[in-house]
Amino acid sequence: MLAMKRRLFLAGTAAVLTAPSLGFAQTAAPAKGGTLRVSIDQAASVIHPLLTRVNPEYLITELLYSNLTRLKVDMSVESDLAESWSANEALTEWTFKLRSGVKFHDGSPCAAEDVVATFKAILDPANASPGRNNVGPIADVSAPDATTVVFKLAAAYADFPVSVAYTTARIIPAKIATGDFKSLSTKAIGTGPFKLVSYEPDRLIVVERNPDYYDPARPYLDRIEIQVFPDTSAEGSAMIAGDVDIISTLQPTEYLRLDGSRGVDVLRVASGQFCNVNFGCDTPPFNDPRVRRALALTVDRKAMVDFVTEGFGTPGNDTPLNASYRFFKSVAQRKADIAEAKKLLAEAGHPNGFEATLIASDRPAVRTQLAVALKEMAKEAGITINVQTMPHATYLEQVWKKGSFYVGFYNMQPTPDGIFKLLYTSDAAWNETRWNNKAFDALIAEARGTTDEAKRTDLYTKAQALMNEEVPSIIPAFFDVLGAKREWVENYQVHPRASVFRLDHVSLSAKAPKRG
Amino acid sequence: MSASYILKRLMMIVYTLLVVSLIVFAITQILPADAAVMMLGENATDEALEALRQSMGLNAPIWMQYGQWLGHLLQGDFGHSLRTGQAIGPVMFEALGRSMLLAVLSIGLMLVIAVPLGIIAAIRRGRIADMLVSLVSYIGVSLPEFVTATIAVLVFADLMAWLPPTGYVPLTENFADGLAHLVLPVCVISIILIAHVSRMVRSELVDVLHSDYIRAARMKGLSSGTVLRRHALRNALLPTITIVALDVGYLLGGVIVVEEIFAIPGIGRQLIVAIQARDLPSIQAGVLIMAATYSIVNFAADILYAWLDKRIQYD
Amino acid sequence: MTEFLKRLLRTPQGAIGLVLVLLVLIVVIFGPSLAPHDPESLKPLARYKGMSAAYWLGTDQYGRDIFSRLLIGARATVTMAVLATVVGTLAGAVIGTTSAFLGGRADEVIMRTIDAVMSIPSLLFALLIVNLLGSSTANALVAVAIAFAPGMARITRSVALSVRKQDYVSAAIARGESASYIVMREMLPNVIAPIIVEMTIRVSFAVMLFATLSFLGLGAQPPAAEWGLMVSEARRYMHLSAGILVWPSIAIALVAIGFNLLGDGLRDALNPRT
Repeated sequence: MLAMKRRLFLAGTAAVLTAPSLGFAQTAAPAKGGTLRVSIDQAASVIHPLLTRVNPEYLITELLYSNLTRLKVDMSVESDLAESWSANEALTEWTFKLRSGVKFHDGSPCAAEDVVATFKAILDPANASPGRNNVGPIADVSAPDATTVVFKLAAAYADFPVSVAYTTARIIPAKIATGDFKSLSTKAIGTGPFKLVSYEPDRLIVVERNPDYYDPARPYLDRIEIQVFPDTSAEGSAMIAGDVDIISTLQPTEYLRLDGSRGVDVLRVASGQFCNVNFGCDTPPFNDPRVRRALALTVDRKAMVDFVTEGFGTPGNDTPLNASYRFFKSVAQRKADIAEAKKLLAEAGHPNGFEATLIASDRPAVRTQLAVALKEMAKEAGITINVQTMPHATYLEQVWKKGSFYVGFYNMQPTPDGIFKLLYTSDAAWNETRWNNKAFDALIAEARGTTDEAKRTDLYTKAQALMNEEVPSIIPAFFDVLGAKREWVENYQVHPRASVFRLDHVSLSAKAPKRG
Repeated sequence: MSASYILKRLMMIVYTLLVVSLIVFAITQILPADAAVMMLGENATDEALEALRQSMGLNAPIWMQYGQWLGHLLQGDFGHSLRTGQAIGPVMFEALGRSMLLAVLSIGLMLVIAVPLGIIAAIRRGRIADMLVSLVSYIGVSLPEFVTATIAVLVFADLMAWLPPTGYVPLTENFADGLAHLVLPVCVISIILIAHVSRMVRSELVDVLHSDYIRAARMKGLSSGTVLRRHALRNALLPTITIVALDVGYLLGGVIVVEEIFAIPGIGRQLIVAIQARDLPSIQAGVLIMAATYSIVNFAADILYAWLDKRIQYD
Repeated sequence: MTEFLKRLLRTPQGAIGLVLVLLVLIVVIFGPSLAPHDPESLKPLARYKGMSAAYWLGTDQYGRDIFSRLLIGARATVTMAVLATVVGTLAGAVIGTTSAFLGGRADEVIMRTIDAVMSIPSLLFALLIVNLLGSSTANALVAVAIAFAPGMARITRSVALSVRKQDYVSAAIARGESASYIVMREMLPNVIAPIIVEMTIRVSFAVMLFATLSFLGLGAQPPAAEWGLMVSEARRYMHLSAGILVWPSIAIALVAIGFNLLGDGLRDALNPRT
């Protein structure tokens, strides 16, 4: 049985092939010490590693905890708590070998039983962890010995090592996972490169180096201060003034402002992050694919890239994949065609167009920008769109997943499967469009059990073609992920996933100001 | 000033807080938000939500929830934030402290500038100086804080690089740096107050200068400087206390905007975040604390006024 | 009336205020027909333009003509502020006059409750109400009106108290007129002059309050050309083109200054003492 198992470093091999510039591989040994100041653009309301929901929160839990595996900048995974992993031939059983001697911040050892308890906590509906649907089809998890964890899956899943790197699959102590689960809302006991010093959700989060981190070389910094800036323009000003060293998420307008500022490096990477217009495919008039396609045909995608990203993006084709994803092959690009749109509308029984209210939450601001631009473009085909914005909390409560015409905003996922299963399959974690297309579901399921690169690419391309034809949501543009840093910050790269930061690899040059 | 007057004013504060607590509780009850949903987030299952509602007492009748909430308040327990899970009381009072620092500095700066401006304008009524003061104050009261704040950051931080643009550094951590971070927000808050108070001082002083008893003092042959210092100013400045106290309400509102732009973690920002996140217990606590602050400041102003102005009779 | 107008025009405040407010009025009425461009049409190739013959005040982040948007937005901005103030004032005036008329215990209770409500900063109060009702222009109007009512009630009451002591009110009470008749017919008309002064000044507060609500994302909805919304949207783009921010800010300031000056001018004209 053991002999039949085949070591699968699926993502690992790809890394060697596709990694174009791992810039910091060539530089000299990074300097040790120093305090880094990082800005985040909203409060870090949640630091419970299994309950975080937004990028600034992921930034913090990434410092304090470890996963089994970690995403590299090229979207492949590397070892974290797990030293190695392998699967059976059917890809339904995965075995992870853990590092030995890893300690939690409170000094207690981190072993296989902690991993098992963590995943059980993630899967327990009572804990309402956002990761529950994103860590793969886990049927059972067990620990045969102190350094081995075995996952039994409900179905074949080739991307499983990537899915355990998910932003909320951080390993916590078993005694907390099964005991006072909520206690991690205000303190942190992880195995990460840094320890929590202080936590003020709306102002400042401070972490310091964990001397017992499993890698004796990392982290290089002594201390990281994470500052909250509710106003993006103020955040940019702080960077110019040298008050912060890294802006974790940068708006295009601020990028343009900081570009050329002395001592500031602007950072940019193409990504699969996007804003889309979701249709409730079970609600008239959007239950007719012709209506959805007609609206998609009104979009001038080149202009949309300018309006919503100031040019820091790429045109979308109404499928969530682009060149930033592996297994991507493009399908024919849709172009604006008002005559065709009008024809489709007439066929669908709306010769004079129709009227609909498009809802956009107020955060991030691009949602509203997209809505306003779409309103004007759709006008050409006789479609009247009324834009309604609302506070994000109200939107989550009343519109998200329930509405039939609203603007969504999503991070790039590590794999095509990740994004399809998040949003578009019938059993998607957030089945916003209620598209429920059986042929599409079958393609995605088949790809999950396929290891052959070419065959997988083929399956995903078919799935893309299907989406492009049926348009469950309009995806007019993809966003580049933008960031900024001071010159004295070394080895920091923005990550296309936008929720991974890898600050434990960062160091400060001699030019950095000394901070107490 | 009698003990019964003070007692009566204290009773008024209690009444005020009761009314505010009712209003705030009513508003947070009707707000389109389910506390359980807010707490568990988007991925909560129905069973988990129901269990939480039960444990939080959200299924009890509204008046009982109000009673419970009030009961806890009286014991100094503001409850726990739905957003962060932290105890609200300490967080809010720490934030209030930062806002108070901002407010006190703003009022100080305002008094130093507004009172002399008002006096000059009143003495030089109708002349160039008066016109200039009026012009400045009209412009001052006509720009919303978020506009002045934006312009201030643009000019003094980005362009001139004289001052740190935003952020908050506790004075205990680094006094000079902390103070530097406070300059712009304090100036922005002060602008509207200066405009308002200098106009008030001017009109009070003009009234007093025209009153019979000042005329009488003049006829006695006292120099105009002495008249101004000994008689006019005292009577004109007294009402300023009340005006400033009433302006505290305005100040607390302005603090909301200024803290948002300057990233100052004060009570105004706490409230905005709480409102955005539908963190109901934090909204309730924040509004109540703001109202209490306003009431107490006005109470203090009344007492101060009465103490300074012995001629006024109180029942 | 002409005598009053003369007095109003004699003070610089009154004269400048009247001119500014009339100017605003003209823009409110004729603005949409004067606008040289469609205020909503997007022009991908004409974004962030400076001042030019084609676009007098330049263009914004969507390539829309700022001048046209200001002309059209005047209607939303100024009308809303005036309406909110009027509604708030009317509500406040009725409460204040009633309280003064009732006197005694009832007056005490009403006024203490008004004081209590006023201890919540009006911006915060407006924020809470808009959150309750959902963000839209109409709801912002209601919120500002409610936030204004207590202050107006207080002012009306103090004026009405002095009116109540007048002979004609005592006469009406002696005649046995109903309370509502006395409040509406005898007292309200006589408290109107000072209220109009206060109301005029408050319009400028309302313009600013609306702008601030829009800044916090709770006022008018994009792509409306409401000035406060224009400023708050412009903050993101101000580093690319300052005009997007500057022009609507000036527009707001001009309206606020105009109503402030007119209010002060009216006060002086009605009360020639100072």
